[in-house]
Amino acid sequence: MKRIINILFLLVLIVITGGCKNQSTENTPKKVAVIVSTLNNPWFVVLAETAAAKTRALGYETKIFDSQNNTALEADHFENAITSGYNAILFNSTDADGSIVNVMKAKEAGVPVFCMDREVNSTKAATSQILSDSYSGCIAIGKYFVQSLKKKGNYVELLGLVGDNNTWARSKGFHSVVDNYPGLKMVAQQSADFDRNKAMEVLESILQAHPDIDAVFCGNDAMAMGAYQALAAAGKANRVKVFGFDGADDALQAIKEGKVMATGMQYPKIMAETAALYAQKYFNGKRDFPQKVPVAVEMVTGENVRNYITKN
Amino acid sequence: MNRRNIKLLVAFVLVAVVGYNSVYIRKLSEVKAQGVGTKFNTTKYSREFWDSKLIPNLGKAIEVNQLMQEMHADKDRTFNTYAHALGIGNLQYFMIKGEGEVLAVNENTVTVKTQAGAETQNLQIETEYVYGNAVRDASGLLNMNAFDNTTEFNEVSAGINKIIREEVIPSFKKTVAAGSRISFVGAIELNKKFLDTSKITLTPVQVKFLTK
Repeated sequence: MKRIINILFLLVLIVITGGCKNQSTENTPKKVAVIVSTLNNPWFVVLAETAAAKTRALGYETKIFDSQNNTALEADHFENAITSGYNAILFNSTDADGSIVNVMKAKEAGVPVFCMDREVNSTKAATSQILSDSYSGCIAIGKYFVQSLKKKGNYVELLGLVGDNNTWARSKGFHSVVDNYPGLKMVAQQSADFDRNKAMEVLESILQAHPDIDAVFCGNDAMAMGAYQALAAAGKANRVKVFGFDGADDALQAIKEGKVMATGMQYPKIMAETAALYAQKYFNGKRDFPQKVPVAVEMVTGENVRNYITKN
Repeated sequence: MNRRNIKLLVAFVLVAVVGYNSVYIRKLSEVKAQGVGTKFNTTKYSREFWDSKLIPNLGKAIEVNQLMQEMHADKDRTFNTYAHALGIGNLQYFMIKGEGEVLAVNENTVTVKTQAGAETQNLQIETEYVYGNAVRDASGLLNMNAFDNTTEFNEVSAGINKIIREEVIPSFKKTVAAGSRISFVGAIELNKKFLDTSKITLTPVQVKFLTK
């Protein structure tokens, strides 16, 4: 009997505590989690820190969670964010397919998720996805690539992470133009995981088998810079044209110096700030968000690099 | 059954229930299938869009010299009034029309000079690299979020561009010569932040010869 009384007492205590918590959350500021694929890449650091800064500026509590490119760790972050009472998640996914289940969990818990830069392959999971228009950006680069090579030559493509939609959006945009020119032959296509050192190693290896290439198209600027290093070491930097994507500072400088031909300028700050503003609108009652909001990617070449090189 | 066995049985049932409810396995193909609609027929959709929406709405295009006059007077207002863009950013699209004299026939473009009053504008009509979303987006007639996925939406552009490459450009290129007078309707892309009206490239939707 005494045990039953103890259990009932405990239950009453839990209910009272829960009630207190509900009352107090109405007066405490909303909490916004920023879950980012990796903080081991300056581009994503800018994305995460801008999202957190904007969120704080809007008057909310915020914390950055680093998934370290690991979907399992990302799942833990989602669990933590949901159980810790975060009211919204600004999210940069590790895997377009593997991350869907995490977003769905948040949705089921009533926590809105706003994707930044990286897409998840479902239109029914996130509240809204604010994404770089990588496909269109790479169509522009593809056109410039064909013009620069005068419609003929051998080239190599270095892909990013194979599980990331951006990798394929960029590749498909590029090929939607270049594949129409039979004089342009892709002699090798290999992943270098968006990594500078890996790109250098991969291209060094490819150059052993294909020393006579005319161009390298890279899925991001880190790989473009790695490719340039490999070409410089092989004494081919002057005759092989390198193309990147991202708009990273070192790539812009390389374009100015004639080492890299072109890149696609992305705007991580705009994506992060838009996601934070969407969270604010959600808290204020808005529900009809567009599922996908593309952010334009601008092609940067030697002709217009002066417009971008002083960009903060 | 002694007391210890009962405890073990209860513990086992508890672990089994918690374990069963903690882990669930779904096929990746099922997850992928969420949000993916039926197979999209690019050719059919693009043709219907071209015939029933794009061509009937070409009359709404703004005359190129009027656009430039307004642009020089008030850039922000002109972009807000006439430009279309699907999302956020500096790149925006306009559907323009005009008449002009062909100055040169180049390898990949045709240079045209247009004049309206004192206002003149040179532009390049694209005859080789017809790719990208200029026409789709300049039309302002399609909503990205009405499509199940981005790939299908991009395929609409590819379909429109194919019609232009196969049906608009060949007859134009075959006949055009320096000195020809033409009328045109098509899409242009302008960068709002870094505006440069000295190099405008038009993706043609309709080109007619006034004199050959």
